[in-house]
Amino acid sequence: MDHAAYVDAAAATLGLKIAAEHRPGVLQFFALAASMAELVQGLPLETHDESGSVFHALPPQGDVS
Amino acid sequence: MSSMDAAASIAARVRDGTLSARSVAESCLARIDATDERINAFSACLAERALKRAELIDLHPQRHKMPLAGVPFAVKNLFDVAGLPTLAGSKIEREAAPARRDALLVRRLEAHGAVLVGALHMDEYAYGFSTENTHYGPTRNPHDLTRICGGSSGGSAAAVAAGQVPLSLGSDTNGSIRVPSSLCGVFGLKPTFGRLPRVGSYPFVASLDHLGPFARTVQDLALCYDAMQGPLLGPASDDPACAQRPLQPTLHLLEQGAQGLRIAVLGGWFREMALAEATDAVDAVAQALGTTRLVELPEVERARAAAFLITNAEGAALHLPDLRKRAQDFEPLSRDRFLAGALLPAAWVQQAQRVRQWFARRVARVFETVDVLIAPATPCVAPLIGTEWLQIGERRLPSRASMGLLTQPISCIGLPVVTVPLWGMSAAHPHLPVGVQLIAAPWREDHALRVAAQLQADGLCSAPVAKGL
Repeated sequence: MDHAAYVDAAAATLGLKIAAEHRPGVLQFFALAASMAELVQGLPLETHDESGSVFHALPPQGDVS
Repeated sequence: MSSMDAAASIAARVRDGTLSARSVAESCLARIDATDERINAFSACLAERALKRAELIDLHPQRHKMPLAGVPFAVKNLFDVAGLPTLAGSKIEREAAPARRDALLVRRLEAHGAVLVGALHMDEYAYGFSTENTHYGPTRNPHDLTRICGGSSGGSAAAVAAGQVPLSLGSDTNGSIRVPSSLCGVFGLKPTFGRLPRVGSYPFVASLDHLGPFARTVQDLALCYDAMQGPLLGPASDDPACAQRPLQPTLHLLEQGAQGLRIAVLGGWFREMALAEATDAVDAVAQALGTTRLVELPEVERARAAAFLITNAEGAALHLPDLRKRAQDFEPLSRDRFLAGALLPAAWVQQAQRVRQWFARRVARVFETVDVLIAPATPCVAPLIGTEWLQIGERRLPSRASMGLLTQPISCIGLPVVTVPLWGMSAAHPHLPVGVQLIAAPWREDHALRVAAQLQADGLCSAPVAKGL
């Protein structure tokens, strides 16, 4: 798959200028990430399969409840 | 007695007054001075601070109680050290203000009597497995100066292997303690994710970052680890991932060895993605422990992919302002990977986080019937500096990234791992070590350390100081 159009659009959206000499490397690593994404998206998950990123609410300092 | 001796032996003699902490610090600094031109492990040597600290230990009224009395140590340069900019291997952070305070783990070790002697080189922002740092030059493997030391905590492993210090600290996001431990032939511990607080260390990927020690004996590894344990006493927001576990000391448990533990070898991905020198090391460990049981984890390649994506996106997002302003100042070996990581679609990363949780649940079930799993730490012994490609079977893979193929799926779900070094596994390079991962269930660092102690006592694993430096 050719990711160049997405990479250029996403970079512009983020205000990230990719120098001409870096572009081939960026495209190569984006393609590698895309192949990793294919692997994770290939695993069927249920609605209730939770994320591995968890947030803990912060009580005020000194609250031991 | 010098930095080439074990930490426990140094501490025992400083405690009983037969050796001064100052003389240990002096000999350690002399060793660094004599060897580091060839190794390039140290980014900063803190002679004045170390000698002052050592003198304080010699005069300390509680010296006889300090488990690390007078023991020199050094830290990866992503740990804050008061008065130094925290480089994290970069050129950019040279401009940062000096740290005002030492990292929490540095303070904990010094509170137990240890003496910080310096900061150590690493891959820029911890994104690499080789410590071929373009800004500061490669850190060389003390056992063969033409070869990489592994990374990203390369200086931490090399300094211990070279006998410059008996203990060091590093970090491990995808393998950055276990890979250099393997390639430099030292013991390394990556504790459970959330065990040791990361306050005062430069983050790479907060979702995956772990801190841990390197040493030349399992006893020293446990001694250092025990001294760093304990809940975070400051605001929880200083390290939201810190699990606030109580102290669970391990040193006194080592003599139990592997007795009573259920041990198995990891198959599938962990054998397919390794050369014979690495699988032979695993087989030697399995034989020594008397196990023939083989276990396969489900979907390991997808778990590795999840770690890759989380790392790529989260690591890059952290540096987005500098990637926008000054991409040319980044390490050429990882700059394009950072730039690409900043562009990943959110859906990929969210799915990766869900796959991570899915995998953790499946592996937790495996640990209902086994206590320790054995796998290679790296696919091979240390490659030559500058190596671009690695051939594993039919696969031609980028060498640097492939050093973490076997560690990445394990840190993805935060399991504690001790890496133990074996020697003579490569017929072509018998002078080079290769490491084996001893992987335990979450919060059971003691199990992995006990097995490591058994293998060391049996003479199968050891971490000698490199010769001829």
